[in-house]
Amino acid sequence: MKNKVEELRKQKGIKQEELAKSLCVSRQTISSLERGKYNPSIMLAYKIAKIFDLSIEEVFIFDED
Amino acid sequence: MKSDKAMRRMILSIAWILVGAVISVLSIFEMLDSFWSGFGGALVAVGILQLVRHIRYRTNEDYKEKIDTEVNDERNKFISSQAWAWTGYIFVLCAAVGAIVFKIMGKDELCSLCATAICLMAVIYLVSYMILKRKY
Repeated sequence: MKNKVEELRKQKGIKQEELAKSLCVSRQTISSLERGKYNPSIMLAYKIAKIFDLSIEEVFIFDED
Repeated sequence: MKSDKAMRRMILSIAWILVGAVISVLSIFEMLDSFWSGFGGALVAVGILQLVRHIRYRTNEDYKEKIDTEVNDERNKFISSQAWAWTGYIFVLCAAVGAIVFKIMGKDELCSLCATAICLMAVIYLVSYMILKRKY
């Protein structure tokens, strides 16, 4: 699943460490998410969307392939 | 990690040290054989290491935060469960190959041991599946 986490994080000017801290996850999780290697749980996806004041669909792009 | 859980683990570490020390002393006085001396020493070492970690967890805020993040990180949990799944698959594959190889070599006891391990894993998997099916 593709996502806009890196783009949104950079727009807000926050570091991976800062985002990780506010979500109570490791920096590696954020890095893995941004590279599209790890798909988050619905809870984490919700928290991420909430941080950027967006809906889950606006942050994560569902791609069947 | 919650503080009561951390306290319980600290008590458990002290228990490991005490049990290890008792086993070592009994072994020194030749009431137990030398195997138990090594076992007791290992228990004491593990207990001390765990105790140091728990004390650091309770006294160092940065370390506490780091450990809490590591323990609660959902990717770490996912990787851990995947690693256990891989471990199970690889173990069963190794046991299956071992059973065939030992049978060819005429080592029937080792072949039975490998086959039993596969059966045991299959039973554990079935029971775990049933329990998890009820849970989720």
